Amino acid sequence: MKIIYIITLGLLIIVSSCTDTNKKNVKYMATDAISAYNLQYLDSNNELIKTEIIPQSAQDKWSYSYIVDEGDIVYISGNYKDINSSLKIMILIDGKIFKQASNTADTLSYLTVSGTVPY
Amino acid sequence: MLNIKTTMLAILICTSQQIISQSNNISGEVIDNTTGMAISNVVVGVINTNNITVTDENGLFHLSIKNTNEVKLIFSHISYINMEVKITPEIMKSPIIIKLEKDALNLGVIEIMGEKNIRTPFSIAKIDIKQLDETNLTDIGAVLAMEPNIGGVRKGATGIDPVVRGFKYSQVSVQLNDGTRIEGGCPNRMDPTASHININDISSISIYKGPFVLKYGSGFGGLIILETHKPIFYNKYENHISLILGGQTNQQGTRTGIRVVGGNSIISYLFSTNWNKYGDYTAGNGDIIKASSNNYNVVGGIGIRPASGHVINLSVDRSWGRNVDFPTLPMDERKDDTQIFQLSYLASNFKNSVNFIKVAAYYSDVNHVMDNKNRPFSDTVVAISSIHAIVNGGKVALNMDVFKGNLEFGSNFEQIRKDGNRDKQLIMQPNLPSITENLWNNAKINNLGIYAEYQKIINRLNWVIALRTDFNSAKSDPMLRVTKNGDLVYENTDTDSEYFNLSFSAGLSWQINLKSEINFSVGKGTRSPDMTERFIILLPVGYDPYDYLGNPKLLPENNHELDIGYTHDCTRSGYFNASVFFSYVTDYISAVILPPSQVKPQTSGVLGVKKFINIDEAYLYGFEILYNTPQKNKWQIKFNTAYTAGVNPTAIKYVYDNGEIIDEISIHNDPLPEIPPLESNIWFRYKFFKNRLTPEINIRMVAKQNKISKAYDEQNTPGFNLINFKVSYVYSQRLNINLGVNNIFDINYYEHLNRRIIGTHSPFYEPGRLFYTNLIINL
Repeated sequence: MKIIYIITLGLLIIVSSCTDTNKKNVKYMATDAISAYNLQYLDSNNELIKTEIIPQSAQDKWSYSYIVDEGDIVYISGNYKDINSSLKIMILIDGKIFKQASNTADTLSYLTVSGTVPY
Repeated sequence: MLNIKTTMLAILICTSQQIISQSNNISGEVIDNTTGMAISNVVVGVINTNNITVTDENGLFHLSIKNTNEVKLIFSHISYINMEVKITPEIMKSPIIIKLEKDALNLGVIEIMGEKNIRTPFSIAKIDIKQLDETNLTDIGAVLAMEPNIGGVRKGATGIDPVVRGFKYSQVSVQLNDGTRIEGGCPNRMDPTASHININDISSISIYKGPFVLKYGSGFGGLIILETHKPIFYNKYENHISLILGGQTNQQGTRTGIRVVGGNSIISYLFSTNWNKYGDYTAGNGDIIKASSNNYNVVGGIGIRPASGHVINLSVDRSWGRNVDFPTLPMDERKDDTQIFQLSYLASNFKNSVNFIKVAAYYSDVNHVMDNKNRPFSDTVVAISSIHAIVNGGKVALNMDVFKGNLEFGSNFEQIRKDGNRDKQLIMQPNLPSITENLWNNAKINNLGIYAEYQKIINRLNWVIALRTDFNSAKSDPMLRVTKNGDLVYENTDTDSEYFNLSFSAGLSWQINLKSEINFSVGKGTRSPDMTERFIILLPVGYDPYDYLGNPKLLPENNHELDIGYTHDCTRSGYFNASVFFSYVTDYISAVILPPSQVKPQTSGVLGVKKFINIDEAYLYGFEILYNTPQKNKWQIKFNTAYTAGVNPTAIKYVYDNGEIIDEISIHNDPLPEIPPLESNIWFRYKFFKNRLTPEINIRMVAKQNKISKAYDEQNTPGFNLINFKVSYVYSQRLNINLGVNNIFDINYYEHLNRRIIGTHSPFYEPGRLFYTNLIINL
């Protein structure tokens, strides 16, 4: 009987451990702007956050990090009104660049990088 | 550890058998106490020695012993109560017959489903647990496809959808045990019924071809019953454990399963849990094919036997699927959570003409989530579909002897509910806009059926007639699709339908002599349209690249089928069976294109919109031939060949130019799509060491399929030949080992029913060479 209980318990532990998913660290970064710009990004609650960033210089970097599961959507989008400005936005997953985009003197379109965290 | 059980039955000395024993040999046959049928794979051993053998498929065994004095044998089989027998020198001189009693004291389920039906004239094939354990297959659809004239529509790593004699999807009914139905979530049937059951929980599979068996619902093209393991009653309290561990190269992965059963004569239990995890595989041409899957489940069951002949069974099955690849479909399975509750009560052993009364109820609940996150177009639109499908139902049946025949009548009820949405997030647009679209909108189908089947044997004639009526009704909330701007794409508020269906069948088997038999079966099965055919809202669910639109007013389709079979079963020449069939289908459910002015397609890349309709007629025909050498031979050869063709007499092919329809061509006698080609198999097997070591070579020959549907733009499929090898070894009563290699010569091939990789013309290739092993432990 003991061996039955031991094996059953072992299998239960195996099955209960099957639901774990791999967590990853996501970091959004924005830089290169010399004046105010707007950002929209998905936060750790999967809500779309809208914020205005006022940099001191083009070297200023804005960033936001959180933990995601594989398959989660990552999204950041931004624009600016100053024709002399630029914007570069990036998404890093576990420290590596996942996607990035930049533009200069484009006040009309939104700069967007997005995707799903690879499995 | 071995718990020797009390023997319950006497040994009968029989001199009529064609078995000759010698002074130091023991020969005999092992049969079922109730049915008298031979039991294969019974381990026969001399107690306290390693001298064992295994009964062949005729239940025969032959054991050499050095000791010519009295010995004690044990007969052991997973489904029967162990029996110990003292063999005296006098008994050794004659062949013996051992009668084993089923392990479950109550045989209700097996009697209802199996043993009574085996002798009906209707075509039936059975796959037992041993066949499953000897393969590396963990997909029930793939196991079914090993049978002649059964193929499988393959779209991904798992979920192969059976095609029986050219009938597919809802034309083939797949059920569990007493008729439990499961409605899959995916509109593209990535999760057909069988995919929600772990193969390690299956004890046997019964396949009824044709529309003849009407006890389990309105028959149509075929009925597949998956019998799962049940709690087992023992005379005195016992516990047993079965363990299977399997692994394979290529599609590298493992299968693990454990089942614990125990109880006494009043109460019993079953607990099992399984985990199958596989990765991608390499095809014969070196291509890496995405085919990962991860499935696990837990099953619990309780059996109560309040009195002799009365059994209550309750079982719960929870299963989970995670990240299952379907490279031929627009989405992969991200998450599937399924729960199945089954409750049954069987009353038998009446002291009158009533054989049994059966009452069963069930509830199945599928939560299925899919997404396109592994598809290139998810860079701009991430689509996630969530579908919830529920089926609840039950049956009542009474089986009794009437006028020296057997009558069963009863009723089944089922209600299917399905609701699902697709959420699209436009991830390259500002403000991350999203759209929610209905796939089904609270759709519901009810079916109430009443049936009666009467069987009688008069001399050499065994005949059966069956009649069934079904009242089928369906309804959905409005079928509605709007654009993200709120513009109406499609709306249909007239979704009600009610049908009264009549099905009937008759079968006759004529025993020409002790070895030969001819069977005739004729029947009409009527099937009401399914959830997809009635209510799907603009989704590419077909073989061809069109958005499909359900049709709530679709009529039921009818299959009129005639089967003729001949069987010759002889211990000297072997077993031979040949059968032919012809099906004439009226109101055949197909689809036609709707003009863009009526409704525009909503999926990028499709050619247009097709709506399900009934066409006047279609017909299918084919044959199956099987031959097995006598089971008593050490050398064994098994052969089968099967073929099906289907014809649509009046098909229409649409001619496109730059995405516009420029012409329609009527095609006379267009082949029906998705029908497997001619296939033949040969197995060579030799039994070494008293049947303990059995190597087997399988040669599989599949012809080119060039009977393809022009209307559906189906493609030719080249033929191929495969050679597979396996060896099974019965080390002891507690340990079996199976090893095998599939596709020895690493042939690059694909089945005709495999879908194409989505967005390409590339076939979905099957795995190249693959080694596997299974270890089975029974304690």
